[in-house]
Amino acid sequence: MSSQLPILLFLVPFVTAVAMPILCAKRRSWCQPLTTGAVSVMVVLSIINLRVVLSEGPIEYAFGGWGAPLGIAWLDDPLAAVMALAMTAVALLSLIYGRVVVPSNLDRSVPYYTLILLFTAALIGIVFAADLFNVFVFLEVAALTGYALVGAGGGKALVYAFRYLLLGSFGATLYLLGVSYLYAAVGTLNMVDLAARLPELMTSTAVVTGLVFVFLGLSIKMALIPLHGWLPGAYANAPQSVAPLLASTITKVSLVVWVRIEFSIIAPGVEVSHIPVLVLLEDIGALVAVIGGALALVQTNIKRMFAYGGIGHIGLILIGVSLGNSTALTGGLFYLINDAVMQATLFMVAGAVLHYHGAHSLDDLKGVSSRSPWLTGALVVVAVSMVGLPPTGGFFGKWNIVLGALEAQHYLAVFAVLVSTLLTLGYFLRLFSCWFHQPATIESEQLEVAVPLRVSLGLASVAMIVLGFMSDSIVRVLFDSLTSGGS
Amino acid sequence: MIQAHDSVIVRTLGRIVIPVAQLFGFYVLVFGQHGPGGGFVGGVILAASLILAILIFGRDAPDSWLAAKVLHGDGLGLLIFAGVGGLCLIGGGQFLNYTHLQIPGLDEASRHYVGIMLTQIGVASDVAVTGVSIAISLSADDEDVSHG
Amino acid sequence: MTKMSPMDELIQALIQRPNFGVFVILFLWGIYIMAVHPNYVKKLIGLYIVQTSVVFFLVAFSAKDGATVPVISAEMASLEPLVSANPLPHALTVTAIVVQVATLGVSLALVSAIYRKYGSLDEDEVLKRVG
Repeated sequence: MSSQLPILLFLVPFVTAVAMPILCAKRRSWCQPLTTGAVSVMVVLSIINLRVVLSEGPIEYAFGGWGAPLGIAWLDDPLAAVMALAMTAVALLSLIYGRVVVPSNLDRSVPYYTLILLFTAALIGIVFAADLFNVFVFLEVAALTGYALVGAGGGKALVYAFRYLLLGSFGATLYLLGVSYLYAAVGTLNMVDLAARLPELMTSTAVVTGLVFVFLGLSIKMALIPLHGWLPGAYANAPQSVAPLLASTITKVSLVVWVRIEFSIIAPGVEVSHIPVLVLLEDIGALVAVIGGALALVQTNIKRMFAYGGIGHIGLILIGVSLGNSTALTGGLFYLINDAVMQATLFMVAGAVLHYHGAHSLDDLKGVSSRSPWLTGALVVVAVSMVGLPPTGGFFGKWNIVLGALEAQHYLAVFAVLVSTLLTLGYFLRLFSCWFHQPATIESEQLEVAVPLRVSLGLASVAMIVLGFMSDSIVRVLFDSLTSGGS
Repeated sequence: MIQAHDSVIVRTLGRIVIPVAQLFGFYVLVFGQHGPGGGFVGGVILAASLILAILIFGRDAPDSWLAAKVLHGDGLGLLIFAGVGGLCLIGGGQFLNYTHLQIPGLDEASRHYVGIMLTQIGVASDVAVTGVSIAISLSADDEDVSHG
Repeated sequence: MTKMSPMDELIQALIQRPNFGVFVILFLWGIYIMAVHPNYVKKLIGLYIVQTSVVFFLVAFSAKDGATVPVISAEMASLEPLVSANPLPHALTVTAIVVQVATLGVSLALVSAIYRKYGSLDEDEVLKRVG
């Protein structure tokens, strides 16, 4: 039974989503509990999955009985198990939070909850897939449900959802083009098989073109500057209840896909017409980290600020995974998991502030601190984690990346991490100066924040601190996963 | 709201063409084992015939009752697909491993045949429902669409 | 035979394999339409052309002259790999087309919702009304 865990993790949300129009067409109030229940089952299953994978080794799941490389295979290694747990946990937090801030027209809508479940199922598919084309299919399912979820906000959200759709579909098409080139050159699409055959073919034009197109496609999906144009508009205008879910998952899983491809194919020192590939990626990451932080600093809309902060962090993680030594790689991946939790919390806080205080931009935040102690507490914890101070998880992630950069003697990367941290500190100080500003006239009455909101924010804050304490064991798990050849 | 087409020629031809199109759709669905075809294309042809019925006869006409009724089966096709895969899971193999499809009285080749047929029927019905629902939602004015 | 310049090599490759030249033209044309035209539906048409061109590329390098269906029927002892078509790119093509159709469905729903809300399909107009 435990060998069927990967497909069970996928089937639970998928079957619930598909059965929902039939089950809940007449009883619309069942949708929300059914969705939350399905995602809770997923969290439990992913915890069991993580324990099984850590104790017994990676699970290779061959669909239809056809093993790799003939058939489609899913690889459940420790990295995938950790990512699955992170994604399902973040989804559960967002759903619990979503109960409070969901707009009334969406609360009783069957397609809305179906889309959320399909999105979660697709995320599981992306995380487990060991076949390049399978990744494309699930990436598109997640993207299409994402476009529809962003557009569910109505009004302005529709325009930004359309822009997201154009850019996202174009990115997926580029990815498909790259996969076609790789197939034409190598003849197989299984990642393990590609890792065995590709290194000696790196001088072939078809292979290089394929990899470039795959990187371009995934860059659009993970919003790497300058291909980030869809992200701030989409996240700022998505419905409050799905913004945390979207913001914390889709760019991170695209980055994980790129890490898998990059790690198995591009070893340190590989050069393509005399350009060392990993150094190029690391420089791109450094630029993105600095520019993302700088763009965040000048924003006035709260959600856009957090969105640009997330874009900057993708750059940081790209630096980490492209440095070429295992310290930085595990640091980058650990920071990715932290960033998922942090982005979810940030967007939860932003949505709560909008819901309770009607605050869109920084100026509307005057006097919020005295009226909402829970929101203030969560924001302080997230700020500490984003800037990177101990004992939160953000510190250990950045610390490992900097250690890896020093080890590889790439001082530009160290400089970029430091500048990005300073810029993050800058915009959080700006946020705090507005948040804690006490207007003289308004007397401070406590605003009752609903219980599910407190549960979500509390769990998220606790998670960030716990990740910091458990950083050593998580980093060791990731290190074992990547060096045992399982990716 | 789509009105019935007022030309006698269009309506008469519609009565002839739509059943033929549906028959062709089923043919393509079944023939996918031996040539081009399969679930998705069959579903698209079925959807096209149903959309044609809506376009020619209007949404509420008795002649296009199937297109209106079929929207209630939203998700049924995928349930069939997941159900067949799940039966294979229960039977002892991996998802969609038709050798483990425990239907009594079938040898291995027939098990594969029946399993693939069922999944293709599931895919075709779901694609048909999706096509019709896209067409109906694009044509609605301001009122809520089906179970919205 | 004298060494050809890279330009001559490129032109000779294009003449020998016109399908790939068509793919490049369609791909770039679709991107141009997507980027330049302000009408939403035209942008969708551009996206569709880009996706179709990639599907065309898949078909172009996997098509085989005189190939048969790769199915072993009861009378045949075995199957020659040289005369049967490679089924994998066909599966890739069908899946890519399905993704195309799904994208078209979602995008048309979004465009019709934009039209109902803002009364225009022109991007500059809509952005002006959004404010």
